[in-house]
Amino acid sequence: MKWLELVQVAGATLLAAVTVVVLYSVGVRFTAIAGDPEQATPRWMKSLAYACFGLCGLAVLFGLYLIIPYFSK
Amino acid sequence: MVALVIALALFFDFTNGFHDTANAMATPIATGAIKPKTAVALAAVLNLVGAFLSTEVAKTVSGGIIKEGSDGIQITPDIIFAGLMGAILWNMITWLKGLPSSSSHALFGGLIGAAIAGIGIHSVNFESLMQKVILPAIFAPVIAGGVAYVCTRLAYALTSRHDPETGSKLTQKRGGFRTGQIFTSSLVALAHGTNDAQKTMGIITLVLIAAGTQAPGSGPQFWVIAACAFAIAIGTYAGGWRIIRTMGSGLTDVKPAQGFAAEASTASAILASSHLGFALSTTQVASGSVIGSGLGRKGTSVRWGTAGRIAVGWLFTLPAAGIVGALTALLVMTGPVGVIIAAVAGTGAVLFMFLHSRKSHVGHHNAVEVEEAGQAVRFRKKKALAASRANKLKGGN
Repeated sequence: MKWLELVQVAGATLLAAVTVVVLYSVGVRFTAIAGDPEQATPRWMKSLAYACFGLCGLAVLFGLYLIIPYFSK
Repeated sequence: MVALVIALALFFDFTNGFHDTANAMATPIATGAIKPKTAVALAAVLNLVGAFLSTEVAKTVSGGIIKEGSDGIQITPDIIFAGLMGAILWNMITWLKGLPSSSSHALFGGLIGAAIAGIGIHSVNFESLMQKVILPAIFAPVIAGGVAYVCTRLAYALTSRHDPETGSKLTQKRGGFRTGQIFTSSLVALAHGTNDAQKTMGIITLVLIAAGTQAPGSGPQFWVIAACAFAIAIGTYAGGWRIIRTMGSGLTDVKPAQGFAAEASTASAILASSHLGFALSTTQVASGSVIGSGLGRKGTSVRWGTAGRIAVGWLFTLPAAGIVGALTALLVMTGPVGVIIAAVAGTGAVLFMFLHSRKSHVGHHNAVEVEEAGQAVRFRKKKALAASRANKLKGGN
């Protein structure tokens, strides 16, 4: 029914946007920590940041994959 | 008549792209994340790609709102012509008056008004209209705004850095969001293509069905999809030059992290809605996100006056365009003379709009529709904040 569809849209929007924003923000934070000049920062911080950005990109691609009818048929 | 309507619909599509480039690409250009020329080209290409992604919204427009075919109700190309004219005329009126209005709602309003006047009230499928157009129109911006609020809060909370020992603020280093905005604004452009280009596809398909060249209930043909995709992409590219000229005058105070959150919410909301065949106004959703993300920042408050004006324009468009569409339909029904009068009036309106837009001063207030939404949130000025802090210190001593 219509209300269910609206709830679906709201849920999907919230889930997608929060996933993307959280992953990207965590990535930004790790980059910031890795860039601190005064402290010796572990190398893996930087890789972790890139991992977050990568995951964020994958999340976007997965979302598009779900939407495009060409793939789901 | 069919060719005339198709040309008119494609022109409507072009203006849609022309208007809405700014919504997607204004913030990354303003924050310097991306060069204007690249941004506009990117938006055009993504609009083109987006138009090919889905046809759900087109099916809503062509098959859901006006009953056609089997029920014995004959929608004619003349009625669709009247509806389109109504939409274009109403767009011109609001544009001249400076009212924020959605061209998508004008399109639906015009079409519905024309159908009621030309055929009768029974020709409109109100259940489908309510489900696929009116409810999403009301709720989608609210959803996008709420999500943008949550996302902005999260983005700021996750990246705020304090010294663990002293508790004082470190440099926040949120520059990464500037790069991120390139991607989120690209997604907004893509989402715009999936939703707005499809409305025109739906109209053209409806004309083809009405003219009897296509079976009722079928989706848009490939050449229709391609034509609409190119019309909106060319419109986007053409509209971009207007923004580039005006970018010097500056935008609302949008920080990269906030813009990132707002754009992520806008794109998600539009893409999710397109997938379910909801036809909504991309401008309204983007406005909702901008307001929501503005509230997510610390020390902001809503200017209710401006927000109220947006809301009124938003509720008013559908019935108003409906009345204009209905009047046009009555004119067209009088015979060939009426059609000619309507066509001349419409062409005249479009020409006048074009000439007026060349002549008038283009500022960021009329190039960027979302700007209005940005104004609706009041930001605490840095200076005022510093002054109040200084006063407190003085009082303490």
